[in-house]
Amino acid sequence: MTKTDQYEVNFFKPLSTHAKANKKLILILATIWAVSVFGFQFLLMFLNTPTPEASYTAFQSVWPQVVEDPAASLDQKQVFSRSLLSVLGKNIAVKEADKTILKDALSWTLMSMQPDSLQAVFHAESSASSVQAARVALNLETTGFDKLMADFLPLSLVPVESDGLDPEKKAMLPGLMKKYLVHNQNILTNFKFMGFPFHYWYTAQFLLILFVVLCLIYAMAIDRMNKEHEFVEKD
Amino acid sequence: MNRRLLSLFIIIFLSVLAGNAFAQDAIKLEGEFKLGPAIILIFILVLFVMVGVMNRAKDTSTYWAAGRKISPVGAGMAIASNWMSAASFLGMAAIMYGSGYHGLSYVVGWTGGYVLLLILMAGQIRRYGKYTAADFIGDRYYSKGLRVAGASLAIFISFSYCVGQFAGIGLMFKWILGIDYTVAVLIGAAVVLTYTLISGMLGVTKNMQIQYVIIIVSFLIPLFILSYKFGYFWFLPQAGYGAVVSDIVNGIAPGKGITAMGHDFAILPSPEYAMPWDPATGQTAFQWVAMCFSLMIGTAGLPHVIQRFYVVPRARDARWSVVWGLFFICILYWSAPVYSAFGKILSSNPDVGKLAKDAIVVYTAQLGNVFPLVVGFLAAGAVSAAFSTVSGLLVAGASAFSHDLYFRVINPKATEHTQMLTARIGTIIMAAGVAVVALANLGLIAQLVAVAFSLAGCTIFPLFILGIWWSGSNRVGAWSGLIAGSTVALIALVYFIAGKFGTVLPAAEFITYYLNPWYFAVFGAPLAILFNIIGSKLSKEKTPLEIKKFLAEKVHNYDVE
Repeated sequence: MTKTDQYEVNFFKPLSTHAKANKKLILILATIWAVSVFGFQFLLMFLNTPTPEASYTAFQSVWPQVVEDPAASLDQKQVFSRSLLSVLGKNIAVKEADKTILKDALSWTLMSMQPDSLQAVFHAESSASSVQAARVALNLETTGFDKLMADFLPLSLVPVESDGLDPEKKAMLPGLMKKYLVHNQNILTNFKFMGFPFHYWYTAQFLLILFVVLCLIYAMAIDRMNKEHEFVEKD
Repeated sequence: MNRRLLSLFIIIFLSVLAGNAFAQDAIKLEGEFKLGPAIILIFILVLFVMVGVMNRAKDTSTYWAAGRKISPVGAGMAIASNWMSAASFLGMAAIMYGSGYHGLSYVVGWTGGYVLLLILMAGQIRRYGKYTAADFIGDRYYSKGLRVAGASLAIFISFSYCVGQFAGIGLMFKWILGIDYTVAVLIGAAVVLTYTLISGMLGVTKNMQIQYVIIIVSFLIPLFILSYKFGYFWFLPQAGYGAVVSDIVNGIAPGKGITAMGHDFAILPSPEYAMPWDPATGQTAFQWVAMCFSLMIGTAGLPHVIQRFYVVPRARDARWSVVWGLFFICILYWSAPVYSAFGKILSSNPDVGKLAKDAIVVYTAQLGNVFPLVVGFLAAGAVSAAFSTVSGLLVAGASAFSHDLYFRVINPKATEHTQMLTARIGTIIMAAGVAVVALANLGLIAQLVAVAFSLAGCTIFPLFILGIWWSGSNRVGAWSGLIAGSTVALIALVYFIAGKFGTVLPAAEFITYYLNPWYFAVFGAPLAILFNIIGSKLSKEKTPLEIKKFLAEKVHNYDVE
């Protein structure tokens, strides 16, 4: 090897024992880092199973009869309306455009559950009358999650302008419900650790701890390595 | 302890107590001038300037003398303070609040990058011994053109980083002063510019240590209060909020508590908050990985982060300051998700209305009925975080212009006075430009800052990583890689801006998905590295021997006989 060649710096071809030791250390730590961060996410992707909430299962049990069959029962319409409210109750998680479709469907369904004498209030903006009528139709209690759903009713009712649901919006409903009520879950999301869903703890807490530990290990190892190889870093 | 400093703290403490008389009603989220928080903010800013003034006389005697007095712990606090901007303080919680698990890609991305920085670059940068990123690029690749390019990129990166900060400053000024967002950004810009022109001359690490303490204390106090109020493990909120996340997933029925607006502390089952790449968030697994990767390599490529390693006297100090710095940064990053979790529940009632996501940290404290002055301290902490970072970025950008461009290239005979004047003019122009772009409201704070990271990841990072670890990387390779990385960045940004103005370019959906402005480095960086390697190999030019020798002996400890 000529003298010039001896000045060739290449991470993958270290020319001094110090550099070889440094390379080994970097590769080990970088591998731990990469596998811990991205390996876990790939594992999550592999294990993920679309898992529906109870509301979605309920929705599927009454769709599409509830909007297509004039003889759909009040119970079916109640289940349908509650499933829509469970999505609207997710508030900021639901996009405004999607909320419009859900509100239309909810308002129409609730109106169809009313006796003729009460249907008129659903053609106007949400009011105390329409909210009360909706509460009664849905049989919402004053405790538990029912109370939260009831809180959403005033802002979820919109004027019903026609006798039936807009066909375009009707076609979009199943996709919307799936979007908001079916989630990627697996053994790592269901298992609890320190109160967290495990995958959440791993990503939000464990990885940060690991990063600090990796940095600590590196700093200590380099100090020791420099001493072993008598490498003095000048001021 | 310095008597004058002690006197200052006593004055502030008494003022906070006096300000109690002016405490605002916590349930009014917006629209009112909040005198208590305004007083706290003014005092904190004055404190920073006063500390800078008091320490200036001792530290400007010699540049290295200042560095030698600062321990790695102190330097680590300075790194953390410099790092913790509006994006960390406000932006992360905002992203998690709106996009759930996707937001954790920012948490991991902004911390994991330090591991890369440490194991691949910190010590080596210090040993190489240049003063700025542009200096290193120009010297290592023996090219004035690359120095200019490096300096220009440093300015552009600082610029886009600042845009996010100005948005955060505008939001907090809006909250404190109860004014329109546009006016708030303009007032905030004027205040931060004044602060920078004064403190930029001081630039002492001691100030950053105090800033860190104020930022972290203001951030943590409300979390203890919220955890205690709503029956969670308050002793360590960072551990206790696991139950909050699980409660969001399963839903909380009324009965656990009441918010400041009189609503139940309750929420319908919302698994989309925590489940990975939930369809409701509109974010995919690819986007999570791309975001995390871009932020990590961007961290290792940010000029103002890299420059921190030049000011310590030894490479060992540079390494250990990163270890401490990351630890101090992680204290905040472990805590930010707590705000978004509580915020999710506290804002779940429809009467709360639509909240500006970027201010969710402050809204959460308000909605949780945290004592108004503590909320005010929190808002002041957010402004402090943004100010300290913006100040550093404006100075770095102006220095890149006055030192690397104007003095080194345009006018080598410029006197020190002219250079200072150029730097100040550069600061003012940059601040004005940033304010204008911030008003356009192009994205959330974290997203706007992510643009800077992606740009750094595509351009600066490849130059450093190959420049340090492969002496075969030459000027031709550097230009090839830089052009490749910059082209990717340009395409991403052009498509983004076109989209914002309603113009649809060819293959827009494809490009904006894979070359999103927040994470285009996922393709840009590997491409830049590849082109650097190919360009270097294909070129007949060789890296000059003296540079190879320096790299081998001084940076990598090759013992050549």
